[in-house]
Amino acid sequence: MAEVRKRPRAGLRRRVVDAVGGGLVGELLTRIDELEAEVQENRNLNLRVAELVDLVQELLIPVASQDRDKIEAALAKFQRSL
Amino acid sequence: MSAVAPKVDAVRVDDRGIWFRSTADDVVDVCFDGRRVWSFWLQRDSDPSAGGRLTAWPGALTRFLDGSTRLSLVAHVSGVTLYDEDVVLGSGEGRIAVVSPEGKPLGLDKSNRISQTFDTRTPEQVAPLLDSIEQVLAAIRDAGVEAFLAYGTLLGAVRQGALIGHDSDADLGYVSRHSHPVDVMLESFRLQRHLTGLGYDTYRYSGIAFKVDVIESDGFRRGLDVFGGFIAEPVGDQPPMLYLMGEIGAPFELDWIYPLTTATLEGRELPVPALPEKLLVATYGPGWRVPDPAYHFHTARPTVLRLNGWFRGIRVLRSEWERKHSSNRDKPVPAEPSGLARYVAEHEGVPGQVVDLGAGRGGDALWFARQGASVTALDFVPRAAAKACEAAGAEGLDLAAREVNLLSLRSTLAEGARLAHTPGPRTIMARHLVDATVPAGRAGAWRLCEMALRDGGRLYLDFWSGEGQRRHEGQLLAAVPMDVVAAELEERGAVIVHREETLVERAPEKHGRPLARMVAQWQR
Repeated sequence: MAEVRKRPRAGLRRRVVDAVGGGLVGELLTRIDELEAEVQENRNLNLRVAELVDLVQELLIPVASQDRDKIEAALAKFQRSL
Repeated sequence: MSAVAPKVDAVRVDDRGIWFRSTADDVVDVCFDGRRVWSFWLQRDSDPSAGGRLTAWPGALTRFLDGSTRLSLVAHVSGVTLYDEDVVLGSGEGRIAVVSPEGKPLGLDKSNRISQTFDTRTPEQVAPLLDSIEQVLAAIRDAGVEAFLAYGTLLGAVRQGALIGHDSDADLGYVSRHSHPVDVMLESFRLQRHLTGLGYDTYRYSGIAFKVDVIESDGFRRGLDVFGGFIAEPVGDQPPMLYLMGEIGAPFELDWIYPLTTATLEGRELPVPALPEKLLVATYGPGWRVPDPAYHFHTARPTVLRLNGWFRGIRVLRSEWERKHSSNRDKPVPAEPSGLARYVAEHEGVPGQVVDLGAGRGGDALWFARQGASVTALDFVPRAAAKACEAAGAEGLDLAAREVNLLSLRSTLAEGARLAHTPGPRTIMARHLVDATVPAGRAGAWRLCEMALRDGGRLYLDFWSGEGQRRHEGQLLAAVPMDVVAAELEERGAVIVHREETLVERAPEKHGRPLARMVAQWQR
């Protein structure tokens, strides 16, 4: 996966801002990190949903036929297309 | 970068690299006997050293650097020669030849990968590539999607009507009519299915990008990348954004792409976006007209986050394992069973059905097949087991090797269903799978095992354990604590029926390394 550079967190400017803000800046930055992680978790759902929809769409009809050979062939064909 | 040559003094070339004095930053070609083999940026790609700058030889080039050559440094844009001397490297014997085993000239592309770049190929030699581009574009069009030249291939066509000399592959792209990432991925899956249906070998990189293999007229297997993209609905006052795998995120309008027009590439008319300059600015920035053979993408963080979050994550560590197995290609299949295979045989006899999950070269799979078991060898690099399959075929054994990607739900669920479709208990062994993959890969493995062991049977695991390890770059096996694996399995309804940890001796001065062995089953 492509690398994402982390925001610089330390440094003199940051320490000054922290001292003036009474820790509020630090809290907000932590909250931003948490929110970013939550956004990424949500984005990750897209691939899972797409994979599941594709699988169901491609295999539901052969499975509904209850024909063993057809199911086997559909699974093999599906795997070949991945 | 400018048409004025940079000032470079006191160049010295040795086995470490190229040392020079310069305060300019410009892109420079390194030529051996008059042929470009590499390009670098004077400042970006060098480090301070002894009062000057040293740019180290790139790893991909070092194995060739033994002998003498006429080495010249040429400013890429102005064409001015900055240095031109005979140099001797390594043992100094013979002439340095940066060529493939077949004698074909090689060079480094912009990512410092060694390849047969276009500047060494004649028009006759690039004709099969152009045929392949036309063939794949037609196949994609046949599936209802209008693809066009993208990335370096588009740049070459628009800037100079030719392939870029320092490039080595061809890229295609398309912009979906859909605006939701899920629909865009479903379309890419459908497209890939269409191409496999036509008989092409394909390889998926992410939710919206895959490679199509084309066998060219000279027998060369060429991979063409097909990058999907889409225009995301505008949010609030924000403009609509184009996201095109794998580097682009920019304000964009669909009618800058469609209807497609054409541009000339090596004498052929090929499809390009309606306003190709707009896509080139989005791809390379406003300086796209100035050649840069050492170009590095600086993809904006929000774009990387979006493309990672929506579409990526199904091939973590895959390239590393492909490289590993590629270097093992000539090794024979291990003749002796592993400790885990022996342990399975001691406790289960010879099982009727064996699944070797993460089979690698397939030594254990072949051994069980020779004992009379019906064996399925699963790996995300299935060609690693080619020799084992060949031997099994010659001996008339029941061994099937299939690709499974534990990071892909489609792959895991389809394989789980396929295994479960053959009734009866089975034994699954996974030797150094736990430590070879990431947590999401283990989750996929347990899901597959739960499905495949529906009619009974056990899962046998061997992996490096002890304290958990953070995987460092390039590391293939990273220890996982036994408790972590036990908790994951129990969470999925498995019962751990055996667990032990033994210290495996290493060199005398080193501590032993803990190896976990675990046996689990699902109770119904």
